[in-house]
Amino acid sequence: MHQQEESMQTIIKTTDLTKQYGTHKAVDNLNLNVNKGQIYGFLGQNGAGKTTTIRMLLGLIRPTSGRMELFGERIDTGPGQLLKRIGSMIEFSGFYENLTARENLQINARLLGIHKPEALQEAMEIVSLHQETKKLVGSYSLGMKQRLGIARAIMHHPELLILDEPTNGLDPVGIKEMRGLIRTLAKERQMTILISSHILPEVEQLADRIGIVHQGRLLEEISMDELRAQNRHYMEFQVSDDNKAVLLLEQRLGITDYVARGGGIVRIYSHLGQQAQLNRLFVEQGIDVSRIDVKGERLEDYFVRLIGGGTFG
Amino acid sequence: MVNLLYAELLKLKRAKMLLVSLIGAASAPLMVFIGYLNLRAKKPQEPIYFQEAFGETNLYLTMLLGTMLYGVITAYLFQREYAEDTLKHMLTIPISRLRLLLSKLLLLFLWITLLTLFCWLSILLLGTIAGYDGLSLKVMYHALKQYVAGGWLMFLLTAPTMLVTLWFKNYVPTIIFTAALTMGNVAIINNEYVVLYPWSVPYVIATGSFNDVYPPLYSYVSIAVVSIFSLILAAIYFKRSDIH
Repeated sequence: MHQQEESMQTIIKTTDLTKQYGTHKAVDNLNLNVNKGQIYGFLGQNGAGKTTTIRMLLGLIRPTSGRMELFGERIDTGPGQLLKRIGSMIEFSGFYENLTARENLQINARLLGIHKPEALQEAMEIVSLHQETKKLVGSYSLGMKQRLGIARAIMHHPELLILDEPTNGLDPVGIKEMRGLIRTLAKERQMTILISSHILPEVEQLADRIGIVHQGRLLEEISMDELRAQNRHYMEFQVSDDNKAVLLLEQRLGITDYVARGGGIVRIYSHLGQQAQLNRLFVEQGIDVSRIDVKGERLEDYFVRLIGGGTFG
Repeated sequence: MVNLLYAELLKLKRAKMLLVSLIGAASAPLMVFIGYLNLRAKKPQEPIYFQEAFGETNLYLTMLLGTMLYGVITAYLFQREYAEDTLKHMLTIPISRLRLLLSKLLLLFLWITLLTLFCWLSILLLGTIAGYDGLSLKVMYHALKQYVAGGWLMFLLTAPTMLVTLWFKNYVPTIIFTAALTMGNVAIINNEYVVLYPWSVPYVIATGSFNDVYPPLYSYVSIAVVSIFSLILAAIYFKRSDIH
């Protein structure tokens, strides 16, 4: 029982967290819950409010209203000393480019009170940069800088790791390496990891739980297991006139659980198995049907449906 | 604070700015040196005294060069954290924003002191090479006192520059601001208000060249008000501002 409570301990909790710039709400009454030991995928399009939320958690931005808790402690005036328990990388990692990788990490080590030189070496080894410690960061590639950013974030063995778009600007190989690195950290160091991204397949492969944010609002928090269980199936019709088709669905059959994706594609989430009847109805009403598929939903489809259409990223 | 100062010093390793600032500071003694070379070419018999060389260099440094040079250094120390996107990381280490500000000011103080001493030494060196007259321990000490006092008072006046840098997060407004202040110095140099204008006050106080119109207290108040007020504003702004 105690173990279960321990494992369900909430590491990050926000209640009605809001950040407003003038009349624009960048984050709008956001209620986020990240439990201990989880890899939490914080998903949203660019500009959805992910970075603003993360910056508020780290004390870089002052919230307009709402409550934030880290490790069960309220952080209304900023995370203060709790930052010692957190490692973070926010978007592109900024470094002093006139310094070597080791010197950049030394700044951190000094300020965090880490006196063991092996802590630096260990962090560099984890991100496979231990051969490059004497190189000036100015000569590093973007991928190397991102890895160095991870090394900087983990060198003090934090309990919580916050990564904001860690794969931004990385090539496919770099993305794969980063994914492997995050998995290793979660597994070997039992860190709680909050990873924000707009690249859904990437998070899909990593996260235990996801939170979907859109226009500053958290639309849904769901575990990946629940999501897979829900993995909704649908019928996809390719029709000659999707406007007329959805009108028919609503008026004749009372079907409202559908998405018109444009280009004549209509997805229907209810009435599964009735594709023949629906096909007949469309044809009788002068709508040509060129394709019917029954498919399962991917995270991307789920997301797009949740935000009410459009594209992701 | 020691760790913060160490971190600030480490950030300067291999930074070209230190060399650039030394070259910039050297321009004051060099201008004076070239001026005297010219004078010697025209009037070879006329002696050149160390006391005059020290005095003129100090005038250039505090009234013309210092405001801009120290302004650019101030901008560099603060603005680079925004430009190199390192501030957001520095502030996710558990150190308070005020302590970070203080460590940068401490470094700025050391930097200005270094440049001041460098100018003083340059005159000593150039004067020795060129064979200036009248060098004594008394002259050296007197000049050093004036240089250090001027430099430290100019350090106090970096507070408004720091405020401008934090506000705009860009070099350009800071350069325009310090250029305008220097123009003020030029405009006021032969005026009775020279003892009141904060950016000419360091020279007035350092050299004791007050006038009879206004008591010295006014000069001290002038510099104190500007620096303390700006420092408070800068600290409040930096503490409260969002880091994007």
